Amino acid sequence: MRIKNELAKIVGKDYVSESMEDRVKYSRDESLLPPGIPDAVVWPGSAEEVSKVVVWCNEKDIPVVPVSSKVHFYGCTIPKQGGIVVDLGRMNKILEIDTENRLARFEAGVTWEQLVEELEKKGLRPILPLLPPGNRSVLTDTLEREVSTNIVYDYGEPMQSAEVVWPTGEIFRCGSASVNGFPDSKSRGANPSGPGLDFYRFLQQAQGTMGIVTWISIKAENIPKIDKIFFAPVEDLAYAQDFLYRILPRRIGQECLLLNNVDFAAILSAKGFGDFDVLRAKLPPWTLILTISGLIRRPEEKIAYEEKFLNQVLTHEFQKMALTDNLPGFPGLGRLLMPMLRRPWPSNLPYWKSTVKGGFQNLFFITKPNQTPMFMEIMEMVASRYGYPIADIGSYIQPIEHNRACQVEFTFFYDPDDDVEKAFIGDLYIDAAKALMNEGAFFTRPYGKLASIIYDRAANYTMTLKRLKKVFDPKNIMNPGNLCF
Amino acid sequence: MSIQKQAYNALEAVVGSKYISDDPVICEGYRSGPGGYESGLGYERVMTKIPGAVIMPKTTEEVQQIVKICNRYKVPYVPYATGFYGPRSHCHVENELLIDLKRMNQFEIDEKHFYIVVGPGVIYSPIQQEAFNKGAYVVIGGGGAQASAIANLIGDGWSPLSHRIGLPHRRILGTELVLPDGELVKMGSLAHGDDPFWGEGPGPDLRGLLRGFTGLRGCLGIVTKMAIKTLPFQPEPLIPTGISPNTALALPQKRVKWVNYQMPSKAAQVKAMFEIGKAEIAGAVTKVPLFWRAIAKAECKEEFWEIWGKENEDTIKNFFIVRVLLIGYTSEEQMEYDENVLNDIMKELGGIPRPTKPSDESWLKNADSAGMWLMCGSYVSVDYIIESLSQATVHGEYYAELKRKYTPPLMPDYGDPGWFQSFELGHQGYSEFLVYWDQDEDTTGVDHFYLETSKMNIRERFYTSLLGPHQPLFLTGPKYGPNYHEWLLKVKNEFDPLWVCHPPVPLAHDDFVNRAEWMKPLKDWESPEKLPMPEWK
Ligand SMILES: Cc1cc2nc3c(=O)[nH]c(=O)nc-3n(C[C@H](O)[C@H](O)[C@H](O)COP(=O)(O)OP(=O)(O)OC[C@H]3O[C@@H](n4cnc5c(N)ncnc54)[C@H](O)[C@@H]3O)c2cc1C
Repeated sequence: MRIKNELAKIVGKDYVSESMEDRVKYSRDESLLPPGIPDAVVWPGSAEEVSKVVVWCNEKDIPVVPVSSKVHFYGCTIPKQGGIVVDLGRMNKILEIDTENRLARFEAGVTWEQLVEELEKKGLRPILPLLPPGNRSVLTDTLEREVSTNIVYDYGEPMQSAEVVWPTGEIFRCGSASVNGFPDSKSRGANPSGPGLDFYRFLQQAQGTMGIVTWISIKAENIPKIDKIFFAPVEDLAYAQDFLYRILPRRIGQECLLLNNVDFAAILSAKGFGDFDVLRAKLPPWTLILTISGLIRRPEEKIAYEEKFLNQVLTHEFQKMALTDNLPGFPGLGRLLMPMLRRPWPSNLPYWKSTVKGGFQNLFFITKPNQTPMFMEIMEMVASRYGYPIADIGSYIQPIEHNRACQVEFTFFYDPDDDVEKAFIGDLYIDAAKALMNEGAFFTRPYGKLASIIYDRAANYTMTLKRLKKVFDPKNIMNPGNLCF
Repeated sequence: MSIQKQAYNALEAVVGSKYISDDPVICEGYRSGPGGYESGLGYERVMTKIPGAVIMPKTTEEVQQIVKICNRYKVPYVPYATGFYGPRSHCHVENELLIDLKRMNQFEIDEKHFYIVVGPGVIYSPIQQEAFNKGAYVVIGGGGAQASAIANLIGDGWSPLSHRIGLPHRRILGTELVLPDGELVKMGSLAHGDDPFWGEGPGPDLRGLLRGFTGLRGCLGIVTKMAIKTLPFQPEPLIPTGISPNTALALPQKRVKWVNYQMPSKAAQVKAMFEIGKAEIAGAVTKVPLFWRAIAKAECKEEFWEIWGKENEDTIKNFFIVRVLLIGYTSEEQMEYDENVLNDIMKELGGIPRPTKPSDESWLKNADSAGMWLMCGSYVSVDYIIESLSQATVHGEYYAELKRKYTPPLMPDYGDPGWFQSFELGHQGYSEFLVYWDQDEDTTGVDHFYLETSKMNIRERFYTSLLGPHQPLFLTGPKYGPNYHEWLLKVKNEFDPLWVCHPPVPLAHDDFVNRAEWMKPLKDWESPEKLPMPEWK
C-alpha cells in the first residue's frame, strides 16, 4: 500500500496498481523463463513521470522494469528481482511525421500497426522485420535491432535520435535532438550520434538495463509505386547463397529472405492459405523470396533494369535457380505475400508462430551467408542427438545489407501446457546455441539463459560493460538480472 | 623535457631501443604545425608541446604494455596516427609520451563480405585501391587518402560519397580498443572470435565509447584494430591519368560520371537535393564551397587570388550549383535510369547542366587536401555536421553572417554559405564551414570567431560537430543533452582515473580559455574554478 501511495503521487492513482491480477500479468511472457513477480505496476504518461518514478526507485534501491510492448518472447521484461514495472503503453503518440526529411518520431508505446497505418497516409513506410506482431512496440524492436527484411539500404540502421531517462532519473536526448529546446529548433533530430559520446549505442540491445527510452525517431522510406515478388524453390542452400552473393551487392531487390518449409507453412496456414501439415509437406525445403520495386519516379524503368539484370544472371550463371513470379503449385502466393511483407502481423490474428503448437522458442544469430549450410548441419546433428525431428524446426535466413552478413533464426515449436516438452526444448535450445557458438555463430542479443553462456565467452567485453553500467546505474536498479548485470 | 628514466627503460624493454627515442631531434619532428590545420592559432600556441619521447609499437600487446607502464609511472601519453588533424593530435603537456602507431600498418580484405580489417597505421590510399580492385569502395574524407583510416573513422569520416551511408559510425565493424588503463576490449564479433565481420554486441553496443558525433581525439583509449565496412561499387576500372600534381581518375562514363547543374535559386538547389534523395538515386549530391572552384582552376597562390578576387557578394549570391555523382552500381541500364530521373528533376527545377570533366580529381581516390592551405596558409573547419537537409541547407548562412565581423583576419568569401550535401539518400544533410587565415597575422579574431560559433549554434539551436573536446566542455555541456559533459566526464574518470590518456582532453579547450588572456572577455558561461581533472605540470 505504501508503494502504491507514493507512486500515485507521481502518476495519479488510476495509473498504479498493486493488485495480484496485474502483477501476475507482468510476471510471465511467451518465453521459457520462469515467472518473477513485480511489487507494483505503473503506467506513466510522460517522460517527466517516468523520471520521477525512476528517481524514487533509485532512492529506495528498488528495481525498475521498463515495458513497452504488449507481447514478449524473450523474457527480458520478467521482473527477475521484483520491483516496479514501468509500462509505457500509455505513451503511444506519434509525435511527428516529417515528410520532407522522411523521419518519424514516436513514443515507446507506439505499435507497428499504428505506425505503419499513420505513415501510409503520408505515402511513407518503415522498413520492417519479418511479420512482427502488430501490437509490439516499434521502439523496442528498433532498439533491440530486429533485423529488417529490406536489404538494399546501405545505411541499414533506421534509428535516428532518442530521448532517454537515465537510471538516475535525468532526462536526456541523444544525437541531434540534444539541442536546447528540441523540437522547437533548427535541428530536426536526424542524427543519432553524440553529443560527446555515442550514448545511443549504449541503449541498443540493452534490454532496458541502461535507461528508459521514451521516444525515438526513425527514417521512413517512400512507398514504392510498383512491386514485384519472385519465388524460387531451393534444395541446395549453398547454391542459393551464391546467387545472393551475385545479385544483392549489385543493389537488386527490396525485401529478400529465405524460409524453410516449416516457417513458410506456418505463415501461410496462419493466414488461412491452407493446412500447416499439407503445406509443410508440399513446400520445397527452402523458398527464396525476393521483391523488386519501382520507386516514386519512373517506376517501370527501375523494375525493367532490375529484371533485365536478374534475367541475365539467371540465364548465364544460375540456370538451376528457378526464380519466377509464383512458386509452382501455389497459385496466388505472390498476391498474398507481397502486401504482407510491408505490414506487421495483424494483432487480431494469433501470431503466426503461435499457431503451430502454441509455444515457440527462437534461436538466432549473425553469421556469414556461406556458413549457413554448415549451421544447418550442426542444428541437424544437435536435434538428432535429442531425437527431435529436424522436419519440425522452423528456419529463416535473413540476408543483411547486400548479403555481407545474415541472420539465421531457428524456431522450436512446443505445447505450452506440456511441461516435459518445455523442459526438453529448453535443454535443446541451450545445447544447440553452444554447438552453434562453438563454430562461430555470433549471438548479438543475449537473452535469458543464453546471457551467461555468451558473456562467459567474452570476458573483456563483459568487464567493460559492467564498468560502463556502473557509471550510468550505480545501484543496478534498471532491469537487473538481465545480460551480465 | 623527457620522461622518467625508469618508465623509459620499461618502455624500451617492450619495443626495443630501435622503436623508442627521446632524442630532441626526433621529438622536434612531432611538433604541431605547420601542417595547416588550426595552424598558428592560440590553441596550438598555448596547448601543444613537443613530446618527451616517441614510441612505435607494432602489436596490440605492445600497445597494452606501453599503456600499463604509463599508468604505473603516471606518464601522460597521446595516440598518434599521422598527426594530420593538427594541434589536437599532438602532446598537450610536458614530458608526454607520443605513441606513433604507423608500424601497425597491416590490412586484409574480405571481398565477399565487404569489409577491410586494418591497423591504426593503415592509411586510406592503399585500401581504396584494393577495394576498387575488388568491386567496392570506402569513403575518404576531404583531408586526404594519406590520413589514417582508423583515426578518421573514430573522429570524422565523411565526404560527398556519404550520400549512401552518412554516419561513418555505421562503417565501424569489429574493433579492438586498448582502454586508457591498458585493459583490452574487443567489440562486435571480435568479442567471441577472430573474425571482425560484425560490429555490435553482444548486448549494449560499446562502440559508443569510440566517439561521439566527432572524435574524442584520443582521450579514451587506443584503437588497435578495426574492420571497416565497404560499399559495393561498379565493376569497371578507373584509370589513373595525368602527371603529378595534375592527376585524375578517368571514369568509365557509362558507369561513373560527375554532372554539374547550375540552379536558378537557392530554393531550387535545396529542392533538388531533397528530390534526388527521395528518388533514391546517385552516389553523391553536393554543393561545395565556391572558392574551391578557384582552387581547382589555379596553379599557384597568385593565380588563386586573381581568380577569386574577381568575385563579389553578387556573383556569389547568385551562383547555385548542384554536383551529382552517378554510379551504375547494377548496370549501365541502372545508370541510364538514374540519369533520366536526374534530368526529370532538373527539368522541373530549371537546373542547367554545365560542362563536367569525365574524370575524378578528388573524392573517389585522393580527396586531395594539399591545396587547401594554398590561399592563406592556415585553415580550420568550424563545423562539419550531419543533421537533416533542413538544417544543413540553412546552417552556413548563419556562419557566413557571423564571419563578417571577423573578416579580416579571415579570408573573404563574399557570404558563401559553405558546403552542404545530402547524406543517407536525403534522410540526412551535411553542412561544413571552412575558414582561412594567414598564421603570420594576429589570429585573435580567429580564436574569437571559433568560440563564437559555438555560442551561435547554442543560440540558434543547431546541432554542431564541435562538441566534446573541440570547444569548452562547460560551455556546450549544459546546452546539449542536456549536460552531456557530466556523463562524458564520468565515463572518462571510470576508464582513465589518472587522466594519463591525452590530458587535458576533453577539457583542453576549457583549459585553453582559462590560460589565454585574450579569450577571457568571451567567457560568459559557468565552469568550476578548478577544472575537474588532475593537473599536469
Ligand atoms: C584539410 C583537412 C580537411 C579534412 N577534411 C575532412 C573531410 O572532408 N572528411 C573527413 O572525414 N575528415 C576530414 N579531415 C580529417 C582527416 O581526414 C582525418 O580524419 C584526421 O586527420 C585524422 O586522421 P590522422 O591520420 O590525421 O589522425 P591523427 O591526427 O594522427 O589523429 C587524430 C586524433 O585521433 C587520435 N588517434 C589517432 N589514432 C588513434 C587510435 N588508433 N586510437 C585512438 N585515438 C587515435 C589522436 O590522438 C588524435 O587526437 C580533414 C582534415 C584536414 C586537415
